[in-house]
Amino acid sequence: MAFDEALLHGGSGPVLRFYGWLPHAVSLGRFQRDADFSDVAMHTPVVRRATGGGAIHHAHELTYALVVDAGALPADLADSYAVVHDAFVAALEHHGVRCHRKRDGKQAGARPIERWCFAEPGAGDLVDDAGRKLLGSAQRRIRLPRERVLQHGSLVLRPAPHTPFTAAVCHQADPDAILGPLQESIATGLARALGLAIQPCTDPAETGIELP
Amino acid sequence: MRPNDRKYLKSHEWCKIDGDVATLGITDFAVSQLSDLVFLDLPNKGSSVSADTSFGSIESVKAVSDIYSPVSGEVIEVNKALPDNLDWLSTDPFGQAWMLKVKVTGKSAGLMDAAAYEQNCADGH
Repeated sequence: MAFDEALLHGGSGPVLRFYGWLPHAVSLGRFQRDADFSDVAMHTPVVRRATGGGAIHHAHELTYALVVDAGALPADLADSYAVVHDAFVAALEHHGVRCHRKRDGKQAGARPIERWCFAEPGAGDLVDDAGRKLLGSAQRRIRLPRERVLQHGSLVLRPAPHTPFTAAVCHQADPDAILGPLQESIATGLARALGLAIQPCTDPAETGIELP
Repeated sequence: MRPNDRKYLKSHEWCKIDGDVATLGITDFAVSQLSDLVFLDLPNKGSSVSADTSFGSIESVKAVSDIYSPVSGEVIEVNKALPDNLDWLSTDPFGQAWMLKVKVTGKSAGLMDAAAYEQNCADGH
């Protein structure tokens, strides 16, 4: 996640990253208090995100980070989430996972009543037919030296121990079988939606950004 | 027309300089782009800020945005009531919603007067 932030501040072109977590860890939203997670920190590594929202237990999930100039996304905040999430919906559907973008409900804020991000789906989140949250995202925006956006999010592959109430890809498909093709489908759909070309890159050094 | 007794950054912060003290805040244009504000993070009194560098962040629904300083110097006063009264940013962004007072040691090279800032906003920046 520190690399996501480095891309935001130092990167040049648009970047879409996918990654997983080893060891599994919990990330806190920017404005959540460490003291509220002292029980979790006793047995799980805890890190802090540059974005707001509730805590996430990153276990068996696909994390994505999209870093672009602000002009690459719709100016309206809700629309900017929608264009990314719709690419996920189409890709997941293509690989046998049904979900949809939640239309109603309030959007989650920086100080969630629920301490876990996935406890209460908000408008714009991806949910399964039972209304359980499958994917949530958050944004960090900077204006100098130019307007840039980091949007990252978590797609649950299998429910995490701290958040067993979530939806998960494994409820509808084998995550191990579809993970590679799914990432390609997401990247292809998102590139098409944003009018960008895909240039595969597996080595972070190719981005010209040094790990913090 | 925004107040012409102060200067503006293209990132939508304002500063009003009296002697060697600058009062800082964000403009109504910035507020209009940040609907449903929920949290404001400001530095402490005695800390340093640098021109064109982030000194705090503001959270609207689903996005954290940086706030940039038009000047360099030491923070000598913080509007401690503002984080608990974020509606002031909508009702009085150039007055009651000031954020910091800074003892100025330097200024951004990108400061604009009100007319130039109006044009900047009109150009969609």
